[in-house]
Amino acid sequence: MENSSSSSISCPSTPRWNSERPFLTGRFLQETKTFSRFAETKSLSVDSLSLGSEKAIGCYNAAVQELLVIDDLLSVLVGIEGRYISIKRVRGKEDNFTFQVDASMDLALQELAKRIFPLCESFMLINQYVESRSQFKNGLVNHAFAAALRALLLDYQAMVAQLEHQFRLGRLSLQGLWFYCQPMMTSMQALSSVIQKASANNFAGSAVLNLLQSQAKAMAGDNAVRSLLEKMAQCASNAYLSILERWIYEGVIDDPYGEFFIAENKTLQKGFRILQESLAQDYDAKYWRQRYSLKDGIPSFLANIAGTILTTGKYLNVLRECGHHVQVPVSENSKLMSFGTNHHYLECIKSAYDFASGELLNLIKEKYDLMGTLRSIKHYLLLDQGDFLVHFMDIARDELAKKLDEISVEKLQSLLDLALRTTAAAADPCHEDLTCCVETCSLLKRLGTLKDIENSRNVPDDNDLEEPVNVTGLETLSLSYKVRWPLSIVISKKALTKYQLIFCFLFHCKHVDRQLCGAWQVHQGVRSLKMRGTAISRSSLLCRSMLKFINSLLHYLTFEVLEPNWHVMHNRLQSAKSIDEVIQHHDFFLDKCLRECLLLLPELLKKVEKLKSLCLQYAAATQWLITSSVDIPSLEEPFDDSNVSENAKQLKSRNPSHALKLSTNNTTVTDSILKFEREFNSELQSLGPILSSSSQAEPYLTHLAQWILGVGNEQ
Amino acid sequence: MPREIITLQVGQCGNQIGMEFWKQLCLEHGISKDGILEDFATQGGDRKDVFFYQADDQHYIPRALLIDLEPRVINGIQNSEYRNLYNHENIFVSDHGGGAGNNWASGYHQGKGVEEDIMDMIDREADGSDSLEGFVLCHSIAGGTGSGMGSYLLETLNDRYSKKLVQTYSVFPNQMETSDVVVQPYNSLLTLKRLTLNADCVVVLDNTALNRIAVERLHLSNPTFAQTNSLVSTVMSASTTTLRYPGYMNNDLVGLLASLIPTPRCHFLMTGYTPLTVERQANVIRKTTVLDVMRRLLQTKNIMVSSYARTKEASQAKYISILNIIQGEVDPTQVHESLQRIRERKLVNFIEWGPASIQVALSRKSPYVQTAHRVSGLMLASHTSIRHLFSKCLSQYEKLRKKQAFLDNYRKFPMFADNDLSEFDESRDIIESLVDEYKACESPDYIKWGMEDPDHVLTGEGNASGTVDPKLAV
Repeated sequence: MENSSSSSISCPSTPRWNSERPFLTGRFLQETKTFSRFAETKSLSVDSLSLGSEKAIGCYNAAVQELLVIDDLLSVLVGIEGRYISIKRVRGKEDNFTFQVDASMDLALQELAKRIFPLCESFMLINQYVESRSQFKNGLVNHAFAAALRALLLDYQAMVAQLEHQFRLGRLSLQGLWFYCQPMMTSMQALSSVIQKASANNFAGSAVLNLLQSQAKAMAGDNAVRSLLEKMAQCASNAYLSILERWIYEGVIDDPYGEFFIAENKTLQKGFRILQESLAQDYDAKYWRQRYSLKDGIPSFLANIAGTILTTGKYLNVLRECGHHVQVPVSENSKLMSFGTNHHYLECIKSAYDFASGELLNLIKEKYDLMGTLRSIKHYLLLDQGDFLVHFMDIARDELAKKLDEISVEKLQSLLDLALRTTAAAADPCHEDLTCCVETCSLLKRLGTLKDIENSRNVPDDNDLEEPVNVTGLETLSLSYKVRWPLSIVISKKALTKYQLIFCFLFHCKHVDRQLCGAWQVHQGVRSLKMRGTAISRSSLLCRSMLKFINSLLHYLTFEVLEPNWHVMHNRLQSAKSIDEVIQHHDFFLDKCLRECLLLLPELLKKVEKLKSLCLQYAAATQWLITSSVDIPSLEEPFDDSNVSENAKQLKSRNPSHALKLSTNNTTVTDSILKFEREFNSELQSLGPILSSSSQAEPYLTHLAQWILGVGNEQ
Repeated sequence: MPREIITLQVGQCGNQIGMEFWKQLCLEHGISKDGILEDFATQGGDRKDVFFYQADDQHYIPRALLIDLEPRVINGIQNSEYRNLYNHENIFVSDHGGGAGNNWASGYHQGKGVEEDIMDMIDREADGSDSLEGFVLCHSIAGGTGSGMGSYLLETLNDRYSKKLVQTYSVFPNQMETSDVVVQPYNSLLTLKRLTLNADCVVVLDNTALNRIAVERLHLSNPTFAQTNSLVSTVMSASTTTLRYPGYMNNDLVGLLASLIPTPRCHFLMTGYTPLTVERQANVIRKTTVLDVMRRLLQTKNIMVSSYARTKEASQAKYISILNIIQGEVDPTQVHESLQRIRERKLVNFIEWGPASIQVALSRKSPYVQTAHRVSGLMLASHTSIRHLFSKCLSQYEKLRKKQAFLDNYRKFPMFADNDLSEFDESRDIIESLVDEYKACESPDYIKWGMEDPDHVLTGEGNASGTVDPKLAV
């Protein structure tokens, strides 16, 4: 059966002799007769005198008539025409029979006989249904239902046989027959009406189950019928439940006739190896979402729990893909049986789900160390353990400052490895999974093109985001993390992209911070000069403001956004019950961080970028500003001769007071410092209104405002 | 092994607090007294290599130089159980072993004499590191060796390693009791000049306050040097946690200092620590939360700078910058709340001429050191009231100088030969201008102060030297 579960349902065809030879199926009972009737109706009149040599029943006296009628009825009860009772089939409609009685029959007998006809009709209908539904193409549910009906019919036939025995012993009167038939009447009729509906709509699979159950409910007033229908429903659903059982206990879809309500998308499983890769690359984590899906036609008794059933099997499948052997503890109790008021099956499904999700969660958390992986991603992509970055930026400074097309990613990678090996990251075995890559465009542009974010916010046109001409590696460096199956279910490509966006932003902030620290050190170098009232002291204050700005921004990003949110997520993950919950919490964390890191607010982000670029320009100019505001006479100190005469070095020389003078009148320098100061302050001030106006919608912006602008200090 | 820091401990006091510092670092990193990693120290994530390097046999060796002009303290270290920790090549005791006699000039002069030897040691250590970040100097400013020789080393380091940072942990003398060192004001003044001009950052450890804290906060009736020194080592190790246990920010010394120090000369930091404990002391265990810790850090009584400096003109005094390093199990969501509360209650008086706020660094706690408190905190702050400490030094100096007392000892040395006391006057001027600058920081228009100096007119016309040399633009 394994190979039959391909996408189009192919089932073994019934051999042709099955339909060609009516004696095998009992159809001859109807067919030969009708065939012969065709011949007879041509030669004889339509009335009941059609039965050749036999005399009309009216010729006999009532007692004989009764015997004849009983004899005939006993045949008709199992679908065989009698001598005086004929069965007519409306042409074209298979399930419509009429019974005709010899008109000369005693009227009282006729009446009694007619009362029994509905039972006969029901039998024939059921019998026909059983025959037709036993064919392969009708599916397991129909097979099971037909089998149950066949068992019922056997009972029925046994009863008829017993009646016939009584008749042979001469103990059965027509009244007696009627008496014995009555109990079965309603049940058989109810069944036949169900069958009529089922065959009219050509129901199969869950539709049959639904029909049976709804009928059983509809007949709630009639205890016998209801229990019969329930029994039928139970028998019919047995096959279905065993499909379900395999799914929730083994994760296998064993569904040759396409009756089950879970569909598998085979295209997403091109072998294990490919699956892994495609999953790591896949932007939408398709495997998780689309590999298995719910179809129409969920049996009503499972409708509420269908989602759980789907995920249960899905988890089991993931476990199997991980090469993990799952042994669902199967006990007597876990055998699925439908119905009963105690809803035992619901409990079974629930416990199977608990087992599967617990097992998978355990596997992912323990064996694949989800928390450890998340933590090391936090170390590297969220800079929670930033010392490696300090070193990396030290050694990769030159490479990163190159233009995009000149950067050698291989070189960066080896520098990154070096940085990781020599810092605290070395203790973390996961650090080998970190790779670096250089994106082709800067953060702003990437945000603009990120399709997911596009939906949530109207992003300005691309013209609006003008790319700076000389984008370097500093703006576009991005780290990537090799996420292995099955962790890639949680840390999907999409999630990783979000991490990278945050990293990119943080990294650039760090870069600005470093440059400003460099500028700060340049100022420290001229400490020994008397600089009160000079441009240098002004410049050092500007440097402080800029440092304060970038530090505050970083503080906000890390201690107000990343760390608290991570903390919350971490706690939630600890108590998460299923992997879906884990994914949900993780995605929520990333979205929240992305939003609170301003990455979804292009307007604000552009302002911040502008401020950062001002800081960078200033930092780049500092060395020049400071050195050109200091006159450097040639130094005669003997101990300096051996050294390479670097400017800063000279500035720090031992007795500066007589060697160095400040050229305080250098207006160019003063002007440019004041210009930087003006621009920076005005940009910073213009940030205020934007922050306060958007803080209505985004309350976290008030935190940022407090950090950057110091709002709240004065109030 | 990037961003290494070399520690120089000079003089009696410097070596004592240095030794306590290394003890504390060894404890925190799980390194035994012999420099071998303890078996239990398996948790990674810390950076031992900033302050230690590994010898060929995996011993951890401090990047430390032990320098003194008299052998007593260093002999003590060499006979202690930590004797195998240090690199014996890094220990320098002068040959004659006579010390500096509490004379700055003697220390300075002797420093000049042994410059070669010491610089050899420093060069060797510097060559042994990948990308040296800077130096840390431990000393006291009142004695002879720490102050005089320390001063000489500061100048030399500035010359030789101009691109490296120099941070000092400077112990200021106890003002409350009469010192046996009568020339303390001279020594302090001369050292302060070098601290102002040649150090990037000075962490002020005020013995007056350390004693007070030991008496008032720790209820020690007669605190020993060892006890106050353990306070110092606590502060020193806590202030380096962000370097040793990397976090989001402040993972290098320059980042740590740049955010704290506003202008090149105003680089004197005061510290506060809570909750304080001393070994073998039964402590009342308090509930510690982030807010709790932050609030206590702002209380005068927990700050390791003399209270007279803190209370004088207290209404004028302002914080220029604050960094709170919080260690331990912190719920990061509390940080924002705590800052908000402090802001609302106006517990901090910040300067008005620029943006300022409390910065926070969350840092891990060493897993190998058990403390009764969940959270502990160190405050590094730049506060204008520190100027009173310098004013006090100045006034004490003036008193002594007026009497021309004890100057003979200084005149013996070349710097003051021929009765050339200009060094004193120059130092005095520099300290005075430092005090002025801190005072100016208290006014809202400090930025203008920078431009208002009567000697210079900023808006004047350009002169010949005003032309920009494009080659200088880097």
